[in-house]
Amino acid sequence: MLVALALLWEAVVRFKFIEFEYLPAPSGILSAWGGLIASGEMLDQTLHTFYAVAIGWTVATALGVGLGIVLGLSATVRKWSLASFEMLRPLPAIAFLPLALLLFNFSLKTELVLIIYASLWPALVNTMGGVMNVSSQLRDVSKSMRLTRMQTLIKIVLPAASPSIVTGCRLSMGLTLVMAIIAEMLANPHGLGYAVISELQAIQPQRMFAYIIYIGLIAIGLNYILTRISNAILRNHPHVRGQNV
Amino acid sequence: MRSCATIRMCGARMSRAYAQKLLSPLRTIQGLLPLALGLLLWQILAAPNSPYFPPPSTWWDSYWHLAAGGRLRTALLSTLGTFALGLLASIAIGFLGGILIGRSRLARRALGPLLEFCRGLPPPVLVPVAVLLLGYSQNLKLLNVVWVACWPILLNTSSAASRIDQLLLDVCRTFHLSPLDRLRKVIAPAVVPDFLIGVRVAIPLAIIITLLVEMMTGLPGIGSMIVTSQRQFRSAEVYGLLVLVGLLGFLINIGFNAVERRILRRWPPLER
Repeated sequence: MLVALALLWEAVVRFKFIEFEYLPAPSGILSAWGGLIASGEMLDQTLHTFYAVAIGWTVATALGVGLGIVLGLSATVRKWSLASFEMLRPLPAIAFLPLALLLFNFSLKTELVLIIYASLWPALVNTMGGVMNVSSQLRDVSKSMRLTRMQTLIKIVLPAASPSIVTGCRLSMGLTLVMAIIAEMLANPHGLGYAVISELQAIQPQRMFAYIIYIGLIAIGLNYILTRISNAILRNHPHVRGQNV
Repeated sequence: MRSCATIRMCGARMSRAYAQKLLSPLRTIQGLLPLALGLLLWQILAAPNSPYFPPPSTWWDSYWHLAAGGRLRTALLSTLGTFALGLLASIAIGFLGGILIGRSRLARRALGPLLEFCRGLPPPVLVPVAVLLLGYSQNLKLLNVVWVACWPILLNTSSAASRIDQLLLDVCRTFHLSPLDRLRKVIAPAVVPDFLIGVRVAIPLAIIITLLVEMMTGLPGIGSMIVTSQRQFRSAEVYGLLVLVGLLGFLINIGFNAVERRILRRWPPLER
């Protein structure tokens, strides 16, 4: 089907059924792609984006899971701060971009601020939900075994909440890539997002489409790998055993 | 005996829900304290003309500056208009397209990988494509929003439509329902809960894409307004508009929650 569509696209452009001034043919995109790989340009941009994604995701999930555990465990903390978080959460991360630009200029920092702000929330919300939903029986068990708080957290709460934590981290990753690309388009002249924009401004549609399809493949590949990893982690978890995550 | 217990349980749950409802404004105010305290500290500690961290009271003043000559209103209407129209169009396309694709095995198998690819593409990369093909125009905003926001709705609806119990469809045949009646009475109610989840995912996407397109192309709207303020180093305006956008997101979310609750009461999710 995809092949048929590509052929159709090629035919449409070749024989000019539809006039779009800047729509390149798939063959042209492929050859531009080859050029980008050969010159090493694509690899450089990919590495930069992955670097930003890796840092951003690590910080965001560490913060998100940490805060999520605290909020999930303590009703007092929830009572005194949850509404504040709920006010901040629907703020579209993209609206932070001009602010981050103002504070950090065109730099990796701006990109990271945006990435971290956006991908913090899935990790936080899922972790909090997971921790809050740990069954009261398990809590009773920890009480009757006289586990200390730390032991309860490590031996009971975290394992029981791990499915939602892992899911939260996976969702964060998807957002991380999207925000990295947005930030690179508007605020940090490096990486894949910047590559797309600069090819647009240079009016190189073939190279631009090559980058766009490449980014799509990366996003889908990343999601596939992460789903596999999270399934592998959770396969033996008693709560999810035998069902699809 | 059992029904008696059920009623009593429901009664207890209801009174608890009622108590929670009474308490919730209080709890919300309590929970807002850290935010309010932070803003208050900011107001006290920040220098009134700080270039990076202007105190919150100056944000408020900045609205008057922005609102001069109706600029703020025009931008707000443009952004909200694009958002609303785009979302409505995505809902229409997603709902009908989702049912069509979900009900046809051939369409599902033929289009499945392509649709997954379209959904998987990070939304921002589509903006340059649209710019290249369409040029800068008002339609560009709308088209981008629709393109991004329709996927979650379409895919959720089609997966729900493909899972409709064969028994229900057999019943339709037995009753000789017309295709329209079948759609109205059986298929639509069955897909509504998943469709709503799709819309819930689509709403923030639509907001983000509207702002992003405005920022990237400078087409009139709140997005381009923030960028202009930022380029002129009017930080109070940047903060003020940020708060405005946040408020919009918050209100849209509340509005959708209310609509969703009403719809789900009318068409409750089927027990599986």
